[in-house]
Amino acid sequence: MRVPGTGSRRLRRRHTAWAVATLLVGGLVGCSVEQTLPPPYCETSGSGLIVAQSVPSATQIPCLADLPAGWSVSTVKVNEHHSVVTLDSDRAGDGAAVLRFEDACDVSAAVSTPSELLPAERYDAIEQVRPSFRAERFYVFDGGCVYWTFDFDVGVSATQSVAIGDTLSLVSRNDLQRSISETFLDEEI
Amino acid sequence: MPSLARSGSIVTVGDVSNIGTGQRRRRRPSGEPPPLPHELNWAAYSWLIAFVFFSLLWVWIFLSDRPAIEITEWDLVVMRPIVDLRTDWLDPMMQWITAFATHWLNPLIAWPALIAALWFRRIRHALLLVATLSLVNGTVNLVAARILRPRPLGFEIIGDWEGFAQPSRTIANLAAVAVGATLTLVPLAHRRLANAATAAVLMVVSFAMLYSAVLHPTDIVAGATVGIAFALVLFRALAPESVFPITYDGRKTAHLDVDGARGEAIRLGLARQLDIDAVDVHPVGLEGSAASTPLRIETADGELYFGKLYARTHLRSDRSYKLWRTLVYGRLEDEQHFTSVRRLVQHEHYMLHVMSDNGVPVCEPVGIVEITPDREYLVVTEFLKGGVEIGDVEVDDELIDQGLAVIETLWTAGLAHRDIKPANLMVQDGRLRVIDAGFGQMRPSPWRQAVDLANMMLVLALGSSPEQVYERARLRFSEDELAEAFAASKGVTLPSALRRSLHQDGREVLAQFREMAPERPPVSIQRWSLRRVGLTLWVALIAVAIVSMFVSNLGDVGLR
Repeated sequence: MRVPGTGSRRLRRRHTAWAVATLLVGGLVGCSVEQTLPPPYCETSGSGLIVAQSVPSATQIPCLADLPAGWSVSTVKVNEHHSVVTLDSDRAGDGAAVLRFEDACDVSAAVSTPSELLPAERYDAIEQVRPSFRAERFYVFDGGCVYWTFDFDVGVSATQSVAIGDTLSLVSRNDLQRSISETFLDEEI
Repeated sequence: MPSLARSGSIVTVGDVSNIGTGQRRRRRPSGEPPPLPHELNWAAYSWLIAFVFFSLLWVWIFLSDRPAIEITEWDLVVMRPIVDLRTDWLDPMMQWITAFATHWLNPLIAWPALIAALWFRRIRHALLLVATLSLVNGTVNLVAARILRPRPLGFEIIGDWEGFAQPSRTIANLAAVAVGATLTLVPLAHRRLANAATAAVLMVVSFAMLYSAVLHPTDIVAGATVGIAFALVLFRALAPESVFPITYDGRKTAHLDVDGARGEAIRLGLARQLDIDAVDVHPVGLEGSAASTPLRIETADGELYFGKLYARTHLRSDRSYKLWRTLVYGRLEDEQHFTSVRRLVQHEHYMLHVMSDNGVPVCEPVGIVEITPDREYLVVTEFLKGGVEIGDVEVDDELIDQGLAVIETLWTAGLAHRDIKPANLMVQDGRLRVIDAGFGQMRPSPWRQAVDLANMMLVLALGSSPEQVYERARLRFSEDELAEAFAASKGVTLPSALRRSLHQDGREVLAQFREMAPERPPVSIQRWSLRRVGLTLWVALIAVAIVSMFVSNLGDVGLR
């Protein structure tokens, strides 16, 4: 004989179990195990220290301020050769801006422009403005360089490069070293 | 043969004959281990404890800088003497080892292991290997992005690296791949050697990474802990050696090894629980059994028993089989799977009793032996001494009548055997005996009963002729019943062993029966329901999830 109520309780439990299992499977599908390094934000530490370690010769270390609306960080890769931050835009497209930090850059095809990030020197190389904006912007300093590669979707204004470009700042290795020595360990980065 | 009454299970009121004798009562006292205790694998649990330790450490580091500073200071002290060993001739070698381990070693071990696992049809192991790597990478990424540990400070880093230092992704992957490959491919007897090789490789790579100042010592220990703990725990939990042994002797996975500890446990269980003093226990008739390990049990005084050893692997087979039937045909009948090995053996033992009580010539049930609680049980019945499979004898009218009488008896009792095939029909001294009541069902559908009749007639015809069997069947069954039997019989209704025998026979036995029986439209075996649609979608979702996880993670774990 069935005890009143037990059937529906069992049914509820079963439905709950199925719902949880569905969520778990959905989670497994949605949960990518891509290496998700935090970007080198200026306000928080993020990956700033290993970004500095990726180009030990560089006297300046790049960092990012809060991104403009519509922009998001897609991937951050940091290794013994360089650091690469790829940014997506809801207007300019996926991978519309890529920031690279390396020990040297070839600026032979670029033209010198007044730099807003001193002591770095700025060079611009605009490949095309229409139908889609494609350009490179270099900041060269002792021991290294940081450069943007812009590749926007057709019809997106080049002013988007200014908006995202303004998020970049440079921190001197000495300042970073001083900060690490004070808050963490007195060891060379 | 021990009876239930002898075993003390049935004691009438006022029966005090067993008091004080200490012979009949065989209850296992609380605290006494079962014949084969389910042992927690000490290695897996040790690594799991180490992982818990690191997890707590990471939480502490996440909440406060203090432990990170102290651990890093200690790390730098430990690694400094190793970095001081740097020489011009050693540097390139250590750099090469670091680069090789970072970029090539994982795929070089993992791909052959995966291909070999698939080659040997160890799908479970292959999936576990990828799942282990996924979990290891997910955990490494999650932790690394929280504790943000830089590469060693104060040293010139001369090797390849990527991302944060702790836990080391390279070491974690390498440990997981090596342990997973060992548990997937190396038989138990050679594990010690494989483990030693894994340890040696890990030590060489670790030394090179410390030398190159790519990692701190604790990054290496943490990475190894994550990799080994996940691999061991997942493989031990989901592909235990006792259930999925790694062998290369062509043995079916359903057949368990009854040597060693399990053999001892079976003998101990038989003695303790059924008062059977077994001196020899060995597999018998493995080729006819796919869902259990059949055993021949011989006692000191020459008595023989038949045992069927069931483990969790059989429970999974039952579940997969019923799920497959539901997906392909809908709910033809009760497709509810068993939820424990205990319930599975209880059902088989009970069905043997019910069939025996109703006059079906089954092997007499003797009892159930608990080998490992909820995991392994042995169903013991009489042994058909001198019995041979029906496929090995000539089937005459007498045997045909006995076979048809079995079906008649089942129908009268409201039962279905549901697994009538040559391997389950034995002939002993000219008498037909039915074995394996595991699929038996009470009050089955008329369709199921008709299928039993068709299958019995097909088996009988294999040893005689369809005409002969049909003529004898007409004496017991109406033309309508025979027509129904062959209208119900097709594909899924035939046990695979019977299908194989029919195929080998080559006489188109089923077609001949259909020609002889009155015409009747085939009984539809497709059942559509919301449940079937939902279940199909659910299984498809899981399959997509597994494939998606498999493919997307191949790249992340360095396999693509």
